[in-house]
Amino acid sequence: MTFRSVPEALTEVPDVRILWETPRGTLRLVPRCPPEVFSRLELDKGIGNFAHYSSIIQKMEVFRRVASQKDGRVALAVVGERLIAAYLACWYPSPEDRWSRLGELMYEMGAIEVSRNFRNMGIAAKMFLMTMEDDFFEDKIAYMNGFSWHWDLDGSGLTMAQYRAMIVNMLSKAGFEEMYTNEPNIALRQENVFMARFGSRVSGRDKARFRDLRFNIVRR
Amino acid sequence: MPNICLKGYPKEIVAKDGTPIVIRPLVKEDEQRLLAFFNSFGEEESCFLRADVQDPEVLHTWIEEFDFERTMPLLAVKDDDGEVLAMLRLYRRPAGCMRHIGHIRILVHPAHRQQRIGTWMLLDMVRLAMDMGIEKLVAEFVAGIEEAGIIGAHRLDFFEQAVIKDYIKDPRGGYRDLVIMVKNLHREWSDF
Repeated sequence: MTFRSVPEALTEVPDVRILWETPRGTLRLVPRCPPEVFSRLELDKGIGNFAHYSSIIQKMEVFRRVASQKDGRVALAVVGERLIAAYLACWYPSPEDRWSRLGELMYEMGAIEVSRNFRNMGIAAKMFLMTMEDDFFEDKIAYMNGFSWHWDLDGSGLTMAQYRAMIVNMLSKAGFEEMYTNEPNIALRQENVFMARFGSRVSGRDKARFRDLRFNIVRR
Repeated sequence: MPNICLKGYPKEIVAKDGTPIVIRPLVKEDEQRLLAFFNSFGEEESCFLRADVQDPEVLHTWIEEFDFERTMPLLAVKDDDGEVLAMLRLYRRPAGCMRHIGHIRILVHPAHRQQRIGTWMLLDMVRLAMDMGIEKLVAEFVAGIEEAGIIGAHRLDFFEQAVIKDYIKDPRGGYRDLVIMVKNLHREWSDF
C-alpha cells in the first residue's frame, strides 16, 4: 500500500472510525495502523516524561517496529490529521517472557496510554473494545500486565486502588478477567494486576496449560 | 457486603504441588465440606478454633446465622472434588469509627500446608480489602501454633503490631501468646 500523504493515509486504513469532533479537530480511532504511517504522525504533548510518570512508548520508531512484527498491532486515537492522543500496542510475548512457552496462543496487550490532555473521555475503553472485535482474538489468550509503576497517579488524580479498579473495570468490559499468577514481575507488588481473556475457540486443554503456566507448574 | 466483593470469583490458583484450586465465597451448601475441614484439625489445634465448629449442630447454627453483612468468608477448595483446603474470613464493621479496619482470620487444612494456599488467600483478601476501601488489615495468630501463618503474613508486609502475653489457653492449661499483625493498605504513594 502506498501512502501519498497523511490525510489519505489515515483514510486508507480500514475501519477508521470517527469518534468525536473536538476543538482541536476530529478524533478518529484507527484499529490497526500500518507501519508506514507513523513517520507522519506525532505524539500529543500529554504523552512523554513527567515528574512522576513516563510514557511507555515515546518514539514513533517503537510503534513502527511493533506494527511491523508478525501480528503486531498498534491502535491509535488520532486528533486532526497527525496528533496521537492515545495508543494501544499489542504483540506476541518476547522469548524471555514466561508466557512465550505457550507460543502464539498467547498475545499481550502490551501498552495502552491516553494523553493527559485527552483523558476521561472513554477513549481507552473504546480503543480496547474496538481492538477486541477482531476475530483474531478468538484463537488467543490475550493478556495484560498491569504494573503499578506505570500508572499515572499524579496525572489521573486517582489513588492506587482507584487506578487498579479502573483498569479492572475497563478490561472486564472487553471480556478480560483478573487472574492470579506467581510471575515475578506481577508478584512484585500486591497492587499489580494480571488480566486475561480466553478466545471463544481456545480449548479446555489450552486453558489448563495456561492455568499451570500462571503458577509455573510443569506437568509430565 | 457490597457487591464489589463478589466480582471476579471464583478465582483459580494452583498449589505448589500442582493441585488446581478455586478460591470462592462460602455458601450455605458448604456445610458438610466445612465440617470435614474443621475436623481435619488435630486435638491441639482444634482447641484454638474460636467456636466448637467440629460439632455438626454447632456448625449448622454457625453457618445458618453467619452474618454475611459483616463478614466475608472465602474458601479455597479443590477444583475436582470441592474439598475445603483453607478458609479466610474478613470481618468489618459496617459503620462507625472502625469501619476502615478489616479483621482477618485464616485456617489452612493441616494436610495441605506449605503449598502457598494461605499466601494466595491472604493476597486475595488484601486486594479485596483494597477494593472495599479498607485501610488497615489486622490478623491474629497463636504463637507456636500458627507460625506458618505468621511467616506468610510477614511475606505480604504484615508487621507485628503487638503481642499479648499468655492470652490464649491451650488444652493442657498452658498459656500462649497472641500475635497481632497489621498491614496498612496504602491508597496512594507517599509524598516523601
